[in-house]
Amino acid sequence: MDHRVDRSAVTIADEFAEKIRQSNRKDRIIRTAPLIVLAVLIVFFSLTAGRGFASASNLQAILNQLAIPLIVAFGLTFVILIGSIDLSINGTVGMAGSVFACLVLNSEYPGLNMGLWGALLAILASVVAGFLVGIIYVKLRIPSFMVSFAFLYICRGIGMLSYQGHPPTIRDPLFLSLAKASFLGIPFITWVAIILFGVCYFIQEYTAFGRHIYAVGTNESIPRSVGVNVGRVKVMVFTLGGLLFGIAGVVGAIRLGQGQVGIGEGLMFPAQAAVVVGGTSLAGGKGGVLNTVVGVLIMTVLSNGLVLLSVNPYIRTGIEGVIILVAVALTIQRSRQAISK
Amino acid sequence: MSNTAKPLAGAGKKVRLRGHLTQYLSFSAIVLLLLGLSLTQQNFLGKMNMSNLFRDTAPLMIMAAGMTSVLLLGSIDLSTGAMCSVSNVLFVRFLSEVGVNMPIGLATLSAFALSLGFGVVAGFLMGYVHVKLKVPSFIASLGFMSVWQSAALLISERSSPVPKAVWGAIDWYKVSFGVVGLPLIIALVLVVLVFVFQARTTIGKNIYAIGGNERAARIAGVPVDSTKITVFVLNGFCAALGGIFLAAKLRSGAPTIGDAFTLMVIASCVLGGTALSGGRGSVLGTIIGVFTVALINNGMNFIGVSAYWQNVVFGLFVLGAIAISVDRSVRDLAIK
Amino acid sequence: MTTERKPFFSARDITKSFSGTQALKGVDLEVYPGEIVGLVGENGAGKSTLLKIIIGAQPPTSGQMTLHGQSYQPQTPMDANANGIGMVFQEQSLIVNLNVAQNIFFGHEKEFREHGFINWGKMNKAAAEVLAHIDVTDINPRKKVADLNFATRQMIEIAKVMNVTNAQQGKNCLILLDEPTSILNEGEVQNLFKQMRRIAAQGHAVVFVSHRLDEVLEITDRIYVYKDGTSVGTLNTAEATEAKLYEMMVGRPTTTEYYHLNQQTKPEEQVELEVRDLGLHGVFKHVNFKLHKGEVLGMCGVIGSGKEEICAVLSGDELPTSGQVFLRGREVRFNSPKEALEQGVLMIPKERLYEGVVMMLSVEDNIAMSNNKQIAKGMLCSPKAVARQADHWIDRLRIKTSGRKELLMQLSGGNQQKVVFSRALASNVDVLILNHPTRGVDVGAKEEIYLLIREMVSQGKSVLLLGDTLDECIGLSNRILVMKDGEMTGEFDASVEAKPSQVDVVSLMM
Repeated sequence: MDHRVDRSAVTIADEFAEKIRQSNRKDRIIRTAPLIVLAVLIVFFSLTAGRGFASASNLQAILNQLAIPLIVAFGLTFVILIGSIDLSINGTVGMAGSVFACLVLNSEYPGLNMGLWGALLAILASVVAGFLVGIIYVKLRIPSFMVSFAFLYICRGIGMLSYQGHPPTIRDPLFLSLAKASFLGIPFITWVAIILFGVCYFIQEYTAFGRHIYAVGTNESIPRSVGVNVGRVKVMVFTLGGLLFGIAGVVGAIRLGQGQVGIGEGLMFPAQAAVVVGGTSLAGGKGGVLNTVVGVLIMTVLSNGLVLLSVNPYIRTGIEGVIILVAVALTIQRSRQAISK
Repeated sequence: MSNTAKPLAGAGKKVRLRGHLTQYLSFSAIVLLLLGLSLTQQNFLGKMNMSNLFRDTAPLMIMAAGMTSVLLLGSIDLSTGAMCSVSNVLFVRFLSEVGVNMPIGLATLSAFALSLGFGVVAGFLMGYVHVKLKVPSFIASLGFMSVWQSAALLISERSSPVPKAVWGAIDWYKVSFGVVGLPLIIALVLVVLVFVFQARTTIGKNIYAIGGNERAARIAGVPVDSTKITVFVLNGFCAALGGIFLAAKLRSGAPTIGDAFTLMVIASCVLGGTALSGGRGSVLGTIIGVFTVALINNGMNFIGVSAYWQNVVFGLFVLGAIAISVDRSVRDLAIK
Repeated sequence: MTTERKPFFSARDITKSFSGTQALKGVDLEVYPGEIVGLVGENGAGKSTLLKIIIGAQPPTSGQMTLHGQSYQPQTPMDANANGIGMVFQEQSLIVNLNVAQNIFFGHEKEFREHGFINWGKMNKAAAEVLAHIDVTDINPRKKVADLNFATRQMIEIAKVMNVTNAQQGKNCLILLDEPTSILNEGEVQNLFKQMRRIAAQGHAVVFVSHRLDEVLEITDRIYVYKDGTSVGTLNTAEATEAKLYEMMVGRPTTTEYYHLNQQTKPEEQVELEVRDLGLHGVFKHVNFKLHKGEVLGMCGVIGSGKEEICAVLSGDELPTSGQVFLRGREVRFNSPKEALEQGVLMIPKERLYEGVVMMLSVEDNIAMSNNKQIAKGMLCSPKAVARQADHWIDRLRIKTSGRKELLMQLSGGNQQKVVFSRALASNVDVLILNHPTRGVDVGAKEEIYLLIREMVSQGKSVLLLGDTLDECIGLSNRILVMKDGEMTGEFDASVEAKPSQVDVVSLMM
């Protein structure tokens, strides 16, 4: 029986351990990469865009631009954390904004004046949309990108129907004043985003639900085996997404002073790019809202800097697309036998 | 041996039935819509509306023909509409800036070559990123959707008409034989070609094998990568051709014209019985799906339903059709 | 121990069948408090299936289980946990982006809820206690699992399972360990053994499943030997030796005619496929062998020995990280199974359902999958050629089907496998890699497949065989290679006159 493998040499087990160490090293690099990218961007634009970039007024502008992308990206982060995706953002945000403007004191429907209730109802509409996406995805087993893609059109349609082609202008003094209000030099809408960040971070880190989100994204069978209702977690994540998209829609309408589905246009790609660039894995289970803050900062600084360099604004969407592709291609787990559909 | 074969036999019938069910539903929807609309609306069956209906289905049918093969693979391409837009504005801008200084024949040819060439390259890029970098197709196409949308806007910021001087390049669109216009004939010829491609060529057989079980196809030595890239190239070509048809139809180019088409294209395929999970369906079914979509569109316009409703109705239709055709026996979704 | 010993867990005559095939034909297991029980047996002997039944992941088809004198019928792993039975799975079941404490108490967060919020400090403290319970004090419960190495993760898995024991104040718990040492190095294994002894010393019991007999002999008190879904017997470890265990594990060799030994031919001198110093980093290395024309080369080894991955590399499904492959004397490098097929190498895969057949395609299309280009007329396929070919193979291999157009999902397992064989034969390759060719097929189809392999070889094809059982591998092969832990440990001549005994082969596998 002396045919046994000589274990003193480098064994396969050692090689395997080495492999794990390598992938951990790669993980660590990927984790710090977003911060490096952000720093490089800031330095680059400070040098090339001159004083305009680092000025107080531009910082104010960046803070202002941050708010809505942040809120939207938070909602998307949770969806991506469970390994799904939501393409309905443009529609749900636009719908919430439109419905909100119709329900408060406005130019088109003067009879409707529900004040804060209007805001709540508009957000509720978006919550319902998110819930429906989740429940159809889970119960009918249709891929989430397809369900949410259909809801993009459905919600956009509902938004347009709500004002029948004549976007209502908000006349409610409270909401009009909020558009200009600021506290400690930070605009009101940015405060909304900051507070929501706190809430989302809390949900992610300090609730059982937050822990379950990671588990579902990592490997559904693990939470299932300890009795976590995986379907419920998924529906709740999409509903939470709907809530945040709804808030973003209302905030967007307040900022614009008008309700129209256009509020939602052009939000999905930057949000998608921000979440991915921030280091949240599309495969699920990795990343979080803190990553998303870095990602949104990257995207906002980038678009702000490009404006200062007077680059054609249409290139921006293209760049977002390329960023999504590059970020995904760099971080995706590739094996020769893997199937990607 | 026989005791395990019996329940499986049932499953086989069920799978076949599910694909057909959507086709039957689409077909009955066509019949019901035709009946309802022709009974209630006086001019619905009139020559004018019919020829409009037939002509206008052409761009959709062309794009859906390309998408069917992609869906058969079990993949998806969300950038179809954006590719269509780029091809559309590329075609028009070339004609109005370069084509006007050329003999009309040469102008037409080069404009076609330019747009279709773009489609082929775009399709190849999409296929390459999806296959070689293993990026899931919906994500890759989402990225490209954004890239092409921006490219279309860079080429032409707003919609612009085709100058009268080069109308010769698009006049073929108005040729018609009775109520059937030339565009529809071209589209149907393309569908037949795609059908032959799917059903009779080795690549077509490989598409079904990959869509049915990609892992098994790979192990059996099927050239998975090249087949997939070919299909995406074909889809890019079809999307670009659709863009040219739209330019000819409207005699103008618009950078966002394709956006609304992506969902309609997917809807047509799914309503025609092609499963989103791959491996089941055919481009012939897609014809039924295209007419269903076109009739719903046309009918809604005809009875004056506001255009805003159409978004909602289509979204619901797509979900309904997918819900019927989706295979819930698969334990885990390949695409989340 | 002087006190009266009574088993606190027992399983009697457990059977389990999956769609016709019997995985367990009646196995027994008794566990006394404070002992470490080893389960040994070949692949497919039923060890893993039994563990899954005990943990509640699968219900038994028949049989009795009792725990603490009461009938025990777990419906889910949660039931098992509530009864003080926990399992560390082969594939790790930790959520790497959560920290240690959150993993240990995953699914039990409610126990730490105060005023609607979870008291994480309390959870961390509780986790530290659980870890201290198994004498692990050097793991910070706040640390992310992703930052820990595999050995540490294993400890956390055990802690997670031990957490059930805390909930079961005073009662004895049962910890099931399925191949826990396969990815650990020597030092880590010793550390694990220390923990196991500690757990046992507290009166709990551990069931240890491993392919490594030396480890089983080192750590266990008693050993159960399983074979083909039955219990062969139990030994006190003190009385057991490796030789004795090998003897018990292997079955009696089957009759010679079962494998058509009279038709076994001698391979030719010509080398079809040669492998030199082949390696796949972290999986296998230093693999050398020659496959001759007309030879069946059997490859034996337990799961995880690297034999599956060698097949993947040779069939083009995976690229090797070192070494060379020569086909008919010429060096080759397959980037995909398609390239391998073009050079004349094809694999019949192990998992028929997932990698072998396309269920929603017809019989004829499945058969033509590998060679549809060859029988096509230019770009267009020839339906006639496809049909002719299908009819030929349906007739030749006696595939039971209502016709070549029937969907594959309507065929039985054995007939599906015959379709896979038809595809491979139709593609006319010289080297066939048969990865468990008789997996999940009934006895009748098995015999036909054996005969088919004999015929193929006599026609000059070469076969690399991973048998479904050791017996099958020895019976069919001309020569046997043995793999263990990613390296080759031996080679046997298996000509008709000189078939090696199963004991000899197994002793190099484990």
